[in-house]
Amino acid sequence: MKYARVGAALTVFAVVASACSGSTASPSAAASGGASGGGATIAVKIGTEFPMSGGEAPNGVPAANGVALAISKIQVPGFTVTVSQQDDAVNGVHNPQQGAKNLQTLANDSSVIGVVGPYNSNVAQAEIPVGNAAGLMQCSPANTAPGLTKTWGGVDPVSLRPTNPTKIAYVRTATTDDLQGSAGADIAFNITKARTAYVADDTQTYGKGLADVFATQFAALGGKVLKRDGIPGTTTDFTSYVTTVKGLAPQYVFYGGVTTSGIGLFRLQMAQQGIANIPLGGGDGISDGPAATKSTFLQIAGDAGDLNTYSTTAGPTTIPNAAQFAADYKAMFNTEPGAYSAAAYACTQVFLQALAKVGPGVTDLKALREDVRAYVATPANTYDTALGKFSFDANGDTTQKIISYFAFDPATKNWKFLSQRDFTAQPLQ
Amino acid sequence: MTSATAARRPFAAIPWRAPLVAAFALVIAYFVILVGVLADPSQHLTFVGAIPQAQAQFINAVTIGAIYALIALGYTMVYGIIELINFAHGEIFMCGSFVSWWLLTTLGFSGAISDPLLLIGVLILAFAVSMLVMGIVGVVIERLAYRRLRNAPRLAPLITAIGVSFILQNIVFVAISNSIVTTPQIIPNTVLTFGPVTVGLINLFTIVLAVGLMVALHLFISRTRLGRAMRSTAIDREAAQLMGVDINTTIALTFFIGSALAGAAGVVQGLYFGITVFNIGFQAGLKAFTAAVLGGIGNTTGAALGGFVIGFLEVISSVWGQGRWSEAVVFGMLVLVLVFRPTGILGQQLGDRA
Repeated sequence: MKYARVGAALTVFAVVASACSGSTASPSAAASGGASGGGATIAVKIGTEFPMSGGEAPNGVPAANGVALAISKIQVPGFTVTVSQQDDAVNGVHNPQQGAKNLQTLANDSSVIGVVGPYNSNVAQAEIPVGNAAGLMQCSPANTAPGLTKTWGGVDPVSLRPTNPTKIAYVRTATTDDLQGSAGADIAFNITKARTAYVADDTQTYGKGLADVFATQFAALGGKVLKRDGIPGTTTDFTSYVTTVKGLAPQYVFYGGVTTSGIGLFRLQMAQQGIANIPLGGGDGISDGPAATKSTFLQIAGDAGDLNTYSTTAGPTTIPNAAQFAADYKAMFNTEPGAYSAAAYACTQVFLQALAKVGPGVTDLKALREDVRAYVATPANTYDTALGKFSFDANGDTTQKIISYFAFDPATKNWKFLSQRDFTAQPLQ
Repeated sequence: MTSATAARRPFAAIPWRAPLVAAFALVIAYFVILVGVLADPSQHLTFVGAIPQAQAQFINAVTIGAIYALIALGYTMVYGIIELINFAHGEIFMCGSFVSWWLLTTLGFSGAISDPLLLIGVLILAFAVSMLVMGIVGVVIERLAYRRLRNAPRLAPLITAIGVSFILQNIVFVAISNSIVTTPQIIPNTVLTFGPVTVGLINLFTIVLAVGLMVALHLFISRTRLGRAMRSTAIDREAAQLMGVDINTTIALTFFIGSALAGAAGVVQGLYFGITVFNIGFQAGLKAFTAAVLGGIGNTTGAALGGFVIGFLEVISSVWGQGRWSEAVVFGMLVLVLVFRPTGILGQQLGDRA
């Protein structure tokens, strides 16, 4: 009897839990529109793998929308392309184990020819071995951790490809944190003219990598890093760190991390202690939308905290046909594109262009998946996309190394594009 | 009284020398912070220059410690009376912060209230509503989920508690908000100066409120009839029943008080940090549980002490430039204390060792 009670309680829990995960797995109905042309077409899918629920939905949803938009706009003769949408957020936070599981789900579906995603670098770390084993090509619009593709911090990315060390099954259109960190230092030193900085990170792969590069580059430009802190991502009480910053009185604060690990709160507490006049910079982890959108950095930091804040995104903002893209996006989703919508669109174009090249004549889905992977992994192939023309190098990194700079605009209460810098043409040093 | 029952005195009186020891510990903590600020290589402060910063850090530590202590009291009270580690308690704190968020936003507040009378009125209302609602939720949870399991093997209610915590978390996740919500910070962001000491109004409010609630709780447990019933139920449930104590009411009362204190902590969370989120209870609950164990679980004074100890450990790690290790420091200290004093700092019962 008493065990029956426990069972009842757990059943309730299971129902609630499945209710909250069930709402996220529904495939995008909008994506399948328009692509039902002639008679004997082969049905293939492009997977998407982003955080779609909870606090990180403002990151994942606009990217997944970019994929849906591309599929509705572009037809590949002989193929019907649809989307298989996955969500790697567990209880509202991106989860590497869930990501790996999702990628396995996509790999088990033989009609999936490629996957766009993930958003978070530590999710990619868990997914790359799965994609490598399955020979399923992944294209991330947003991953910026350098170690995913090139040797970084003494670790060789070959360790992420245990099954087929020489087969690349992961490419990305986003440039890497070494450039985003450099861009952050560029903003601090050359735009705000800061000469001293306090640098903190959320002790996670992305945040620490970004902050490390910022610290090195800021020092290389001639600035002085007064103090380097690591603040666990679960922290809500930043008051003691802010008190330290107040004592240090730096000219700039750089915080490597994402909104959910607390940078907004850090900034809010800076405002509470009366030091929001010190500029704060971060990477694309805080360029997650306007102050009016729920749980973005700008909303959490509050009116006083938003002032004097800077961020970057790993990719171009001035893109070919930007107005047309924004109009198409708005027509389909009735909202402005997100930071990585165009990049996700470009990733989809990479797959569709590869499919158009290698697809005709292939009937075996397994061979098709491998052909697409091999085509995308070949550095000689170039793609004409929403982001412009680029190709992927032997590691899977894009040849387009552009970082966009943003600053908070009090008039619109949103990030305002300042400029973009091509780090291939003009390296920082 | 046999020695076995002497060992089980969960709500023991505070010994006379406790205030002296506490004052001594606070002075030590202050100097550890001061030395940390002085030793910070990035600042090169003089002794005089370091004092205001050390003092600000000291206030930070006491404030966060007070919040942990308020939550820890609920853990320790429930453990003291039915020997259940109520893992849902952190979620009660979270729900409390959402109740106050709902109340303040429904009333149309978005920022600081400058009229002192209105501010006091709204604060009283927010605390009364949140404490009452969470107290009732605590009683309902006890009635529905724990009472039938009171004589079941210990593992059953423990797992139920974990289940309840997920249920509460998911209810808020699905029904209210799946991400961070910003709470109106109605207390003005002013700094008060008392001679050489400066303290933020919100910090002072949090500390006074928490200490006030703790003193009230202590007086209630040690001086009132119901408090005596709680103590006797904790020592020997059957004997208490034979002496005419209504066990069910007494246990429900314990849940009510513990949950109301967590509800109060939830209001403070919103006022102090300006945000709340559905999963905030996990981390806070874990810290508060650690505080309760650190102080000696089952012992209310110990829980309060443990809360402040954890607040200080976190701030000290940050001041010493080791924020990266703050969680390792907190849990490392827990391990150390348990190795040398398995019953916690103030040494209380470990349940039935038979």
